[in-house]
Amino acid sequence: MAQRAEQHRASDSRGAISIADVTHGFDGESVLTDVSLSVDRGETLAVIGPSGTGKTTLLRLLSLFQRPDEGTVAIDGHDVWERPERDRLAARRRIGMVFQSANLFDGSVHGNVSYGLRIRRDWRDRLSGWVSALLGSEIEPQVERALAQVGLAENADRNVGSLSGGEAQRVAFARALAYDPDFLFLDEPTSDLDPRNTAVIEDAIDAAREDGLGVVIATHDMHQAERIADRVAVLLNGEVIELGPAERVFENPRDRRAQKFIDGELVY
Amino acid sequence: MIALEPTVLSLLGAFPFDRVYVESIIYVSLYVSLTAVVLSTLASIPIALGVGFTDFPGKGFVIAVINTGMGFPSVVVGLLVLFLVSNQGPLGPLDLVFTKEAMIISQFVLAFPVITGVTLAAVTSVEDGVRDAAYAMGGTRVDVALVTVKEARYGIATGILAGLGRAISEVGSVLIVGGNIASADGTAITRTLTTAIQLEARQGRFDTALILGAILVTIVLSINAIVLRLGGGRV
Repeated sequence: MAQRAEQHRASDSRGAISIADVTHGFDGESVLTDVSLSVDRGETLAVIGPSGTGKTTLLRLLSLFQRPDEGTVAIDGHDVWERPERDRLAARRRIGMVFQSANLFDGSVHGNVSYGLRIRRDWRDRLSGWVSALLGSEIEPQVERALAQVGLAENADRNVGSLSGGEAQRVAFARALAYDPDFLFLDEPTSDLDPRNTAVIEDAIDAAREDGLGVVIATHDMHQAERIADRVAVLLNGEVIELGPAERVFENPRDRRAQKFIDGELVY
Repeated sequence: MIALEPTVLSLLGAFPFDRVYVESIIYVSLYVSLTAVVLSTLASIPIALGVGFTDFPGKGFVIAVINTGMGFPSVVVGLLVLFLVSNQGPLGPLDLVFTKEAMIISQFVLAFPVITGVTLAAVTSVEDGVRDAAYAMGGTRVDVALVTVKEARYGIATGILAGLGRAISEVGSVLIVGGNIASADGTAITRTLTTAIQLEARQGRFDTALILGAILVTIVLSINAIVLRLGGGRV
């Protein structure tokens, strides 16, 4: 009951994104079952669990890629999927997402980082934006600031083909931050990175949280979750089996399977 | 360059053909083929995007039809277009038989499946993650489509140029619907490089036919060179 209350803790508060009683699957097979959780602005929630347990599906539902089969996804207390398409687009534009792969567009670092800013203009502004781009654009400070946050301030003109894997992922992070989202969702963003690039990303996550973003990171690296998360959700076979403050979950998990997973044992 | 010009002109003057005649044939070929390819491209890209990223009943059949169309015999296309534009056909009132417009229609039909098929392959090869990234940043369906087209631009360009190659080197359908007509003053009306070569060879004027053939080969080689250059091993 206490866990249930925790799950619904911020579901109707302002400045929060939440999912409630969400069940979702593919081809008749359930991936998530009755999942409820929320994240406030200014906090980091880590979703941990073994591979194939539904972490990516959960993040895609939070990012409004798909409507859940059952349950609700709400921002600031409003069920997003009950709103008109225009409102849903506005909601999506409050979210930044970084995937396990960088998924950069062909072209320059600048082109990637400025993309989110450019598509937020209407078509008339986009046309005038192309003109101002030739003269020096007003979006430059935002692009420069986002690149500086991941230590790539001097790299705007580089072609993405010349970036290392770590640099590419840092550009993907800057790209998601450039348009000042309220929420940032990260799907195992450092799983392919070396310790140095991982540290840069983790510092940027901390900075984003301090700037007031609500951050959800899916990871199977428990040490990373311990380092950066305020709260932790343990996901197993599509169910949230543990949810609470990071310190409490790692030191005194209530669920036996969560305890086993944290201890490094195989759980099913 | 200025000094070379009289030399080139004198060389052209030495060839055994009427320069105005040949220039008008080149013009008709390029006008018909380029117009048909521009129209095919405008139709092909949205259709390729729609087929590529939408699930609907009969999608496999549509793709099979597009692929079959890439190798469809041009004389059969010419025959069908002739029925379409003939007096008894649905476009009969437009009086298009033996006109450049009828030739454009037949070349449109020939180029369309080539451009659509290659574009479809190019856009579906764009990684899902790239489209997901555009969507996740707040892109609309149009934004995601534009990103996809940009990512697939080399493949799409290859498709367009392959369609142009198919159109400009084709003889059967333009002969049927165009009629291979030249005016009394010796300028081509519906005569293209391919149909002119066929006519000149049949009348025993092999030197003129060879010159026209060399011009056609040069144009087709140029198109292929552009395809290779754009592809750069990526497509």
